[in-house]
Amino acid sequence: MLVVRAIAEKDLDGLLDLATRVGGGMTTLKADRGMLGSRIDIACASFAESIAPEARDYMFVMEDLANGALAGVCAIKGAVGLEEPFYNYRIGTLVHSSKELGVFSRMETLYLSNDLTGCSELCSLFLHPDYRSGTNGRLLSKSRFLFIAQFPDLFAEKLIAEMRGFLRDDGSSPFWDSLGQHFFKMEFERADDLTSLGKKSFIAELMPRHPLYIDYLPAEARDAVGLVHTATAPARRLLEQEGMYYEGYVDIFDAGPVLQARIRELRAVRDSDVVQVAAADGAQGAPLLVSNTRLADFRVIVAETEACDGRIALNEDQRNALCLPAGGAVRILSLNHHA
Amino acid sequence: MFVVRPVAATDVAALEANASVATPGVHTLPKTREGIARAVEHSLTSFAAKVDLPSDEAYMFVLEAADGSLAGSASISATAGSKGTFFAFRNDVIQQVSRDLNISHSVHALTLCSDLTRYSQLSSFYMRGWRTAGQEAALLSRARLLFAASAPHRFADRFFASLAGVTDESGRSPFWEALGRKFFHMDFLDVERMIDGARNRSLIVELMPHYPVYVPLLPGEAQAVMGQVHGEGELPFAILSDEGFEPDEFIDIFDGGPILQAHRNGLRAFSASRRCRVLGGGGIREGALHLVSNLREDDFRAVLAPAAFDEHDGVSLPGATGEALNIGAGDIVTCAKL
Repeated sequence: MLVVRAIAEKDLDGLLDLATRVGGGMTTLKADRGMLGSRIDIACASFAESIAPEARDYMFVMEDLANGALAGVCAIKGAVGLEEPFYNYRIGTLVHSSKELGVFSRMETLYLSNDLTGCSELCSLFLHPDYRSGTNGRLLSKSRFLFIAQFPDLFAEKLIAEMRGFLRDDGSSPFWDSLGQHFFKMEFERADDLTSLGKKSFIAELMPRHPLYIDYLPAEARDAVGLVHTATAPARRLLEQEGMYYEGYVDIFDAGPVLQARIRELRAVRDSDVVQVAAADGAQGAPLLVSNTRLADFRVIVAETEACDGRIALNEDQRNALCLPAGGAVRILSLNHHA
Repeated sequence: MFVVRPVAATDVAALEANASVATPGVHTLPKTREGIARAVEHSLTSFAAKVDLPSDEAYMFVLEAADGSLAGSASISATAGSKGTFFAFRNDVIQQVSRDLNISHSVHALTLCSDLTRYSQLSSFYMRGWRTAGQEAALLSRARLLFAASAPHRFADRFFASLAGVTDESGRSPFWEALGRKFFHMDFLDVERMIDGARNRSLIVELMPHYPVYVPLLPGEAQAVMGQVHGEGELPFAILSDEGFEPDEFIDIFDGGPILQAHRNGLRAFSASRRCRVLGGGGIREGALHLVSNLREDDFRAVLAPAAFDEHDGVSLPGATGEALNIGAGDIVTCAKL
């Protein structure tokens, strides 16, 4: 059985191993022992509530209980852009029209913005290739919504998720090649690395300050605006099922879309329930996300079981995975949004 | 002898014949009989006007050949934006500096600007058989500035001329394709026809980009023609460069053609010309070739002639020159070396 749980200090080796399998374009999960170590420290402090809510970074790992291996990782940041600026392009519209000539041009433009400053962010999702089957991907991604539903006051009004943008097969970004490269005069990978190292001031220094007409870009770059990396398409669908949507903000490097939602509109916040655990074997039903209700040792599993009259049947393995005694409280949400 | 003089009402038919063989998109000449008649009428009014401050006057000159035919025409407007704002792209350099990363480079951007609105504008230069034209082409072009030098109160301190940019045989402009077309949804020549080549129309504000255009984002084909003059514009480009105009600061918003500009102090018609009194005594045949013009605002004349100077700002000219300029001994003329 797989359980998603709050990360712990002992997970550093496993996390580093996972990070080495991540390709380019994912700025928040570089295979750097020092960076990952300090990230785990911040995560532990976050779950312990020893740092301010907006500085927190709740990181979760998915553990295979059969062998203790880490099958995936994901995180929620309390707030973005409060220590260093958080940049996106907002896609705006400029209309150029002349009655005299009978011309009406509706032009899409890219505006450099810090509009998403202060939002909470879903980030750093990575699922080990060996575990890409069944309900694992959904468990890993959606576990975070259960956490948010359980502790909504820890988060900002708005939640965002930056999706990896479209890259060519060789890992290069058509959007970067047509735009960023002219202003940064460096390769995509290097700019990406610098961002992940937190050296973001160079963005403000080097990015074009004026809005850009998307029409100036070559077709390949235009088409990449708001498009996710092929491998990220399923992840995008999962988030959209949970109530997140693309509203015209994209990454300034690869033009990947930013999904966003108000926390109170998330499916998990609207539809999840807290119920009592009943010890039972052999229960059957549609897959449910089930979490305990503890911040410091938050745990989520998928259980195919039944909930009725404010009670849910969980067997011993499931209760152990959640570190719960019989009679404890759990939060539940159907795994699939249409169920 | 070629003589430059203000256009007259009787010149309309000859101007129309010249306009019919001019290449579209290359000349700011009016093309229709009505347009030409209007321009001539406006010029007559302008020459007759008592001017305190330069405004919407436009002065049109013709180059009359010895046989009385019109070998060319050229105009100068008191202010480019008299009936609106004159738009151009200014070449800007944006410095990109990051100390953290030890990066410093510059990005070239084009900014829609109205800097040229108050400038005086040289326009509508047309030379019949320009490929084989001799020094009379320079006479025609530079006579406008001699007029400005003799009547500076009619003009601004700064002057510019916008020359046609690169187009192919079918009139396709690579610069327009990359920029203007995206906003106008039309062919370059269609727009030029619709707005008579004007750059001071409010529809430009309505349609053209308000924000700087970053040059590296334009296709290479468009970048390559920025500031490049159309083949047929090489002659006026050479004449104006020689006169002291500089091409680097602005380009045309539609075809990317060069805009030459200068402060009058940088122009030879102002800084390297001299006013001299015509000496009597039979005239001369030898002497360095000069542009010579009279100082009459209402009956301006300019010719090419050999001139010999004495130490007291006196000048001896050939007899025929005095006749062509409508002057006699004792009158003052402006002389500029060719």
